[in-house]
Amino acid sequence: MSTDTKTPTADQPDAGRAPDEKPNFMRLFGRYLAEANSVMVTVYSLLLAFFIGAILLIVSDEYVRSTYTYFFARPQDALSASWYLVRDSYLALFEGAILNLNTLDRFAAGNADFGDILRPLSETLTYATPLIFTGLAVGLAFRAGLFNIGAQGQMIFGMLGALIIGFSLNLPAVLHLPLAIIAGALAGAAFGAIPGVLKATTGAHEVISSIMLNNIAAYFLVWAIGTGFLHSETKTDLVTKPVDESAIMPKLLGTLSGSLRVNLALLIGIAAAVFTWWLLSKSTFGFRIRAVGFNEHASATAGMRIGSTYTTTMAVAGGLAGLAGAALSLGVGAGGITTNTALEYGFDGITVALLGRANPAGIVAAALLFGALKAGALSAQPDVPVDISTLLQAIIVLFIAAPALVKAILHLRSPRGGLVTLEAKGW
Amino acid sequence: MAVDTMTPPPALADERAPARHIKAGAVYAALGLFLVVMAMAVIGADRTTTITFDQTLTDARWALPTVGAVTAFGAITAAAGAWMLLGLPQRWYKIGTAAGATAFVLGLLTWAYSQTGAVFRAESILAGALFLSLPYLFGALSGVVCERSGVINIGIEGQFLMGAFTGVLVANITGNVYAGMVGAMIAGSLSTMLLALLATKYQVNQVVVGVILNLLALGFTSFMYDQLKKAEGLNSAFSIPTLTWGPLAEIPVIGPVLFQQKILVYIGLALVFAVWFLLYRTRWGLRTRAVGEHPAAADSMGVNVNRLRFWNVTAAGLLSGFGGAWFTIANSLAFSKNMTAGLGFVALAVMIVGRWNPLGVLIGALIFGFTTQVARDLDASGGAVVPGEFLQMLPYVVTLVVVAGLIGKAKAPAADGVPYNPGDK
Repeated sequence: MSTDTKTPTADQPDAGRAPDEKPNFMRLFGRYLAEANSVMVTVYSLLLAFFIGAILLIVSDEYVRSTYTYFFARPQDALSASWYLVRDSYLALFEGAILNLNTLDRFAAGNADFGDILRPLSETLTYATPLIFTGLAVGLAFRAGLFNIGAQGQMIFGMLGALIIGFSLNLPAVLHLPLAIIAGALAGAAFGAIPGVLKATTGAHEVISSIMLNNIAAYFLVWAIGTGFLHSETKTDLVTKPVDESAIMPKLLGTLSGSLRVNLALLIGIAAAVFTWWLLSKSTFGFRIRAVGFNEHASATAGMRIGSTYTTTMAVAGGLAGLAGAALSLGVGAGGITTNTALEYGFDGITVALLGRANPAGIVAAALLFGALKAGALSAQPDVPVDISTLLQAIIVLFIAAPALVKAILHLRSPRGGLVTLEAKGW
Repeated sequence: MAVDTMTPPPALADERAPARHIKAGAVYAALGLFLVVMAMAVIGADRTTTITFDQTLTDARWALPTVGAVTAFGAITAAAGAWMLLGLPQRWYKIGTAAGATAFVLGLLTWAYSQTGAVFRAESILAGALFLSLPYLFGALSGVVCERSGVINIGIEGQFLMGAFTGVLVANITGNVYAGMVGAMIAGSLSTMLLALLATKYQVNQVVVGVILNLLALGFTSFMYDQLKKAEGLNSAFSIPTLTWGPLAEIPVIGPVLFQQKILVYIGLALVFAVWFLLYRTRWGLRTRAVGEHPAAADSMGVNVNRLRFWNVTAAGLLSGFGGAWFTIANSLAFSKNMTAGLGFVALAVMIVGRWNPLGVLIGALIFGFTTQVARDLDASGGAVVPGEFLQMLPYVVTLVVVAGLIGKAKAPAADGVPYNPGDK
């Protein structure tokens, strides 16, 4: 990430103000709100995305559209129909992701237990868990100036690695679970290192090779599930053997209710975020990553080995994505993985890393937000189209990636030091 | 100076001298030997490979002895590899590469079609391959126009989805399938216009934005699909007729492949030559290539770099949007979620394998279309030696090999993806 060099001149915070006028808190706060700094760009991106989402909901709904045909005769019909549609849709997302008000009522009346109230939150955390890992995998590579679009493929190999150890060894849980997790990370790391090695040795762009490797991994998964070694012995559809009891991620809130799916992988994800933070800001390796990311030529002149930095960064990133795979095959997919278990978590990791601005704490927050969107959309379907989560996610990160667009739409002022934007690079 | 006349022009000397190609030679030799060993050890001696012309000469059947044919093809591949290892004149290198690759593919095909029940129906497969290569062709041509102008278009997949969705929607609203195709083009163009705006005016990272635009198109079309399917008759399948060119369609092989196709095939082939002509033979093409290679130089000659880029990228969306119409209209299908299934990325690969050149793109698209068709055909006949998934991986593996420079080097336009700011020359 780098900043562009345009510095504001005419609209400097102090320009054109009498020297004796003291800036009070409200004035400073107002200026902060009207400025395209990274916090406000994030806030406005979210607001704009939900606004555009609302417009699309209204435009695409047949009933609401029909009320607009007589808008000039009775505008209140159209306006109230639009308002109720948008309110109900977003409320349904909220209830599926955070807190269901109906369940709360039932709990107050004694018809639901405490676990039921927590279920939406548990689902949010469940969907957020793989996103934390894949977001870190993309974000870490961003810091080295690499665009790791291959988290999906790395995650698939992580899934397979963890699965194989998960069902083939016969060990006590204290050994089995960690071994399976490590196997997932190693499989992901090995697959992730390929684009790094190719870039280091041949100059092949990591985006192109990662796209190809993603597709290769997807077909490999279809083939692998069908092989006799992995395929379920009891079921006929494309599903693998289940992992052993000793390799399953324990549920965190299993004592409250069996349906709360959030498991140990969430804590591992947070630990991975802390590790990534430590790696990036405290270790020599992280210094090298950031140096190469800022300016590879200067780093090479300073004696850093660029090629090996690319390779190791991609391997660590692949390892993180592999952990996402392990979290899936030892967690929600423990009963056997299908071609559908991986969903789009790897691709969503890109959006998570962008919203989190490639910063571990931001990535965890972004993963929670997108996990909530996913959980909400899944629970609100079919009343609300399930893909509203993808749509909102895409609009949010489009604005994050192009802050100048937000600035232009809302007529914000340039912050001191210019907009924070992604550095543009060629192939 | 006298010294200058002493040195011979180096380019001429290199052209004639035999050069060794160690990496490529080793790869070809290994592949050829692999085929020969497989023919000797794995393939049963009684196997035959049957070829038919299923549409014109329905009675003709040719049965080749598989072992002999595979051994021969393997030997040709290995010989090409050995020739490269020993050293060959530069102008023969391309011929050697092409011969070796063709022989290897033919060897694999002969082997794959030797299973019981598998018949190589030459005419259906070649005609199908040409039809299947169309989305790659339209997408990759769109990519060529964008990247030759210096803007990376990684969002071809998204433009496909927008085109596929809008094509059906407009066709349903207007009742006219050709209006649907125009609608698909406009939808593709609108999505590249957003990319163009962000790339030229706001100078964002084009790869990242391209990925986001793909996601946006996926989210938008899936969302709209769910919303609109509640309404009746907005997503019914439309089809276009197959054109039969009278007696020309009766010619063996050429007839079914070239003269009995849907109109998109002819549009696709015409566009290849049109884009090639425009890029290499017109003033617009020269400017476009200049803007993609060295925008500062183009600017100093009076070309408005960002304006040209903006309109080129917007126009390129017409091509990829039209490619989107292939998925629904040309296949007589209604729209379904994520129906492009990653083919937009194959189109990107075709553009790279075709070296950012419309004619190369045609060859690449045909090869990938052929691979897809063979994979489908073998899957349908059920007796594949190699699992279908591995055949479907092939385009991606080929692209990896090409970008890694194992067989030739793919080089993008110099200023591809680099935003141009007239202020900081």
